[in-house]
Amino acid sequence: MNKVAAIYFDGKTSRLHHVEFLVQGDIAQVCDASNTLHTAVIRSCPLSDLRVSERTRHAPRKVTFSDGAYLEITDHASFNAILDSTGYQDSAVVQLQQSWTGTLAALAAVIITLTLGYLYGLPAVAKVAAFSTPVSVERKLGDGVLEFLDKHIFQPSKLPTARQAELRERFQRLRPPREGSPKYQLVFRKSAIGPNAFALPSGDIIITDEIIALMKDDDAVMGVLAHELGHLHERHLTRRIIQSSAVGAVATLLFGDVSAVIANIPTLMLDMKYSRDAETEADDYAMQMMDANGIAREHLAAAFEKLEALAPGVSPYISSHPSGSERVMRIRGNN
Amino acid sequence: MDNFQNNDFSVSQQSSSGTLQLEFRGSGSEYFRIWIVNLLLSIITLGIYSAWAKVRRNRYLYSSTHLGGSSFEYHGNAIAILKGRIVAFVFFFGYQLAFKLDPSMILGSSMMLMMVVVMPWLVWKSLQFKLYNSSYRGIRFGFRGTAGQAYSTFLLWPLLTAFTLYLLAPVFHQRLKRFQHNESRFGSTHFSFNAGVGQFYWAYLVGIGIMLAGIIVISVGFGSTVMALFAGGHGGKFDVAAAASFGLFIFVLYMWMFAIYPIFLTLLQNLIWNHTKLGDHQFRNNLQWGRMTFIAITNILGIVCTLGLFIPFAQIRSMRYRVESLQLEVNGSLDDFIAETQEQVNATGEGMADLLDFDLSL
Repeated sequence: MNKVAAIYFDGKTSRLHHVEFLVQGDIAQVCDASNTLHTAVIRSCPLSDLRVSERTRHAPRKVTFSDGAYLEITDHASFNAILDSTGYQDSAVVQLQQSWTGTLAALAAVIITLTLGYLYGLPAVAKVAAFSTPVSVERKLGDGVLEFLDKHIFQPSKLPTARQAELRERFQRLRPPREGSPKYQLVFRKSAIGPNAFALPSGDIIITDEIIALMKDDDAVMGVLAHELGHLHERHLTRRIIQSSAVGAVATLLFGDVSAVIANIPTLMLDMKYSRDAETEADDYAMQMMDANGIAREHLAAAFEKLEALAPGVSPYISSHPSGSERVMRIRGNN
Repeated sequence: MDNFQNNDFSVSQQSSSGTLQLEFRGSGSEYFRIWIVNLLLSIITLGIYSAWAKVRRNRYLYSSTHLGGSSFEYHGNAIAILKGRIVAFVFFFGYQLAFKLDPSMILGSSMMLMMVVVMPWLVWKSLQFKLYNSSYRGIRFGFRGTAGQAYSTFLLWPLLTAFTLYLLAPVFHQRLKRFQHNESRFGSTHFSFNAGVGQFYWAYLVGIGIMLAGIIVISVGFGSTVMALFAGGHGGKFDVAAAASFGLFIFVLYMWMFAIYPIFLTLLQNLIWNHTKLGDHQFRNNLQWGRMTFIAITNILGIVCTLGLFIPFAQIRSMRYRVESLQLEVNGSLDDFIAETQEQVNATGEGMADLLDFDLSL
């Protein structure tokens, strides 16, 4: 009969007993290993009462009885022979873990799943989720931001009121490229950060005096504002929150135990690609809006050329915006 | 008859007094296979399988940890852990939403306050869950303690530490370890912890002293180089060389800060375990800073170079060194511990603390 040496603990004290474990038919037996004169059965029970730990190469196997007592077995070969004789089968997960073919298949599946999820799955889910969220929810995300900026960064615009009204009315007359454009407020500010324009979740589109002066071209200003409206219409802010959270969660799952610093770097780099994608999408929106209103795209291209001249781009992998020259080529190339 | 006596003597010999070394027999390649399958299933199930992944991982690591000829066992139940995680997830999602949707911040602030009030209880329950689900030689560990002690340790002392600009940090740390180790049980036998506040202050001061000394040496070393470059005035090349030198200076400082963490870990782990007993059996810890730092740095290099695939190997390397630096001076026998009856511990605290990554191992 097949038997294997083991150590036995009764679950009541920590005393270690050297025993032999064997199976006869569907009955398991534990015998005292110290008495060779005759077999002394310490306990026996049906096989169905036992629970067997998963197979590994190095860790001892454990056979647990229903009352908490258990055997610890380090002779894997003998124990496997007993398991085979009883028809015991490893679970699918254990079989996958124990085979290098299965492991490499799992590795490939992880890489493919993460890559496809990152490139296509997550953006699609974020888009559906963002467009399913009421606009009012997104508006609340931006509450207080403009007040904060006004307090710390902005000053009142020095643009004459009549000029502001002229630009505001012109932009309001423009037709969006498709239905459903959200309400917005055009806000003029003077700022130490120089030429800039951006959209807040609250629906405020902020444009600085400095960028209007830089453009010297109302059509270019319209292009810039159309880009910002694109961020609002495409729900980029909510989508970015969803994407950032998901990437952060997965990076923490992967790298979290190792080092917070190590975990932050890939998260930031991966997130920047989504940011650049959002900028490209807003550029597309601006182009379509200019087309719909008979404004030549060249004005938008010229706008980016002027901005690029002020601040040459950094490495594309760590920037939140595509490079200015790349954007200019894309706009002109689509004519 | 002679055979019988020899066997009996052998058993007795194996469990008599002496120093026992903890051993770790897990291998990086095997753990990698567990890790990658766990990761795949966790991703495919959008995180749900992570509870089962945690159970398999802990079972492997516990079963690979040996003391005196037998190994440890993890008994955590995946369903219980999953429930805890669901509660944690719902709570945090609600918390985030409340802060973003409520202009007056009343709801978000209320939830934050509730979180602060509940946290000590959750950590206490987490300790109970972890220890109850750990066993050795068929005897379960346990964690005693009271709610009052938990609030004192995890709420009062952190507040006092913050109010004194962290001057009380070593006291807080000592109180935390005293609570954690004094209230832990193995069966009906208790652990005890006898390191004083002064010893924690000493460990912190030595660690900070070493850190500052390194910063000073690096600053002086690079300072002279940077000054020389500025004084030289090489025109065009000057800026490039000075910038490169400054960049290298920042990089070296950064690496020094990475090396400091293992120093602190070594000082504190040795202090803590060298003052912990289980009944009459004294623990000994002998971590070496050089080895700790080497492992930490090479682990990070391995992870970066393999885009993360080295993670399971890195974890095994770290765990092996830490486990195998721990010894138990056995006074009497390991055969005499008795089990204590104990109710099943709910996993809510475990799930919540798990998501918070609340690590009390240091």
